[in-house]
Amino acid sequence: MIIDWYTIIFQIINFMILVFLLRRFLYGPVIRAMDEREQKIVQREEVAQDKKEEAEQEQQHYRLKTEELEEKEEEIIENARAEAVKEKRGLLDQARQEVDETRRRWQESFEREKETFTAELRRRIGHQACTVARRCLQDLADARLEELIWAMFLKKLNRLPDQDRSELKKALEAGEDEITLHSAFETGPGRVEEFKEILRDLVPAAGDNLNLDAVTDPGLICGLELDAGGYRVAWNIDSYLQDLEEQVLKEVEQNFPAVSGEAGGKEVPGDDQAGS
Amino acid sequence: MTINPDEIVLFEWGWFKINSTIAFTWLVIFLLTFGSWLVTRRLSSEGELSRWQNLLEVLITGIKTQIREVSRQEPGPYLPFVGTLFIFIALSNILAIVPGYVPPTSSLSTTAALAICVFIAVPVFGIASQGVLNYLKQYLQPTFFMLPFNLIGELSRTLALAVRLYGNMMSGTIIVAILLTITPLLFPVVMQALGLLTGLIQAYIFAILAMVYIASASRAHEEIAKKGEE
Repeated sequence: MIIDWYTIIFQIINFMILVFLLRRFLYGPVIRAMDEREQKIVQREEVAQDKKEEAEQEQQHYRLKTEELEEKEEEIIENARAEAVKEKRGLLDQARQEVDETRRRWQESFEREKETFTAELRRRIGHQACTVARRCLQDLADARLEELIWAMFLKKLNRLPDQDRSELKKALEAGEDEITLHSAFETGPGRVEEFKEILRDLVPAAGDNLNLDAVTDPGLICGLELDAGGYRVAWNIDSYLQDLEEQVLKEVEQNFPAVSGEAGGKEVPGDDQAGS
Repeated sequence: MTINPDEIVLFEWGWFKINSTIAFTWLVIFLLTFGSWLVTRRLSSEGELSRWQNLLEVLITGIKTQIREVSRQEPGPYLPFVGTLFIFIALSNILAIVPGYVPPTSSLSTTAALAICVFIAVPVFGIASQGVLNYLKQYLQPTFFMLPFNLIGELSRTLALAVRLYGNMMSGTIIVAILLTITPLLFPVVMQALGLLTGLIQAYIFAILAMVYIASASRAHEEIAKKGEE
């Protein structure tokens, strides 16, 4: 008999047992392990996804921050530039003002120097002229320069116009005590007497008690001056010096015409000459 | 020469006897269980997989895929039954290359037992998935007159399952035995190699057919459920 029912039943039972055993030892554990792994992979993927999103957010955050910083940087640079321009302008203005101030001061000082120089020049020229004239007169004649001046003065006094003469008279009569003779040089007693004589001739009423005071005054340049109670007769080189001074001033103007226009370009020309 | 391994009795005690079919079945059961236990006692769910675990996972994933493709249902409930059919038959057939081993599947008793298991499993799964009435209604489809034909079909396909596997395996064994007497060198080796292929194909066919029968019994319910949803 090919079919053995005993074996069939036995085999059915065997197969049932095998199904149970494989279910217990094979399918269960393996499927569980596979499911677990799958779940873990899914979890890991979720975590990775989360981390990726987080990283992207972080990246976005940092990008924004960087942009912000760049903007700020530009702003700061812009501000700095503007400030620098402002500062530059301010400094330029200040420098210009300072230059102007310096120029103005220099010009003022130059003007002062010029004036000082002119005055000094005038004084020196006067002196020099006097000295030169005196020497010339000394060399030309035996008589001293003072004699000539004296003679000239007396001549002038004698040739006084009538109106002046009457005024002098009046002055002498009014204030006898206050007749003063100023002279640039020493007047000897002889000359004073001579002068008194002339005054007596002019004003006979004055008489002997004519009080003449002779004063030496170096401020008068090579001249004489009679001061009698408000009336004054004088001769000196002042008029000649006035002419000379005008001439010299004209020379100075011609020599330094552009000084006021060129600030700081030249040394102040009066410095050396003023002291010489 | 013995064609039927049932007749080789190894142990007998009163009515209780152990023939070589039962003995080799036990051997296969032991190998499968012990092997599974060896591999699955140290399973890892992450990191490196052992080769054996990998093999088992590939095997089970393959079976699940096949079940899903054939039944178009989730393979979960069917896996232990159909998977065991395949693994048992496959191992029984493959071991045929071991000298002295007689595959239990070359005994009609074994194949009949497996076919009877399928014969019982079909209504069990059918009723479990769609209820007794719905399952029984299937025998009246498409008309009442088809009931006898349905019943005959049910029985005949079970018989066909049993005889197909038995015939293939038994013929393989016998052909090798005959060839050994005619051309003892080389040719039997080729036939045995062919036998391995035939054995695997038969295991596959048996398991797939079982799945088709079970699926056809439980599919009606799925279709009704789908219609209801629509």
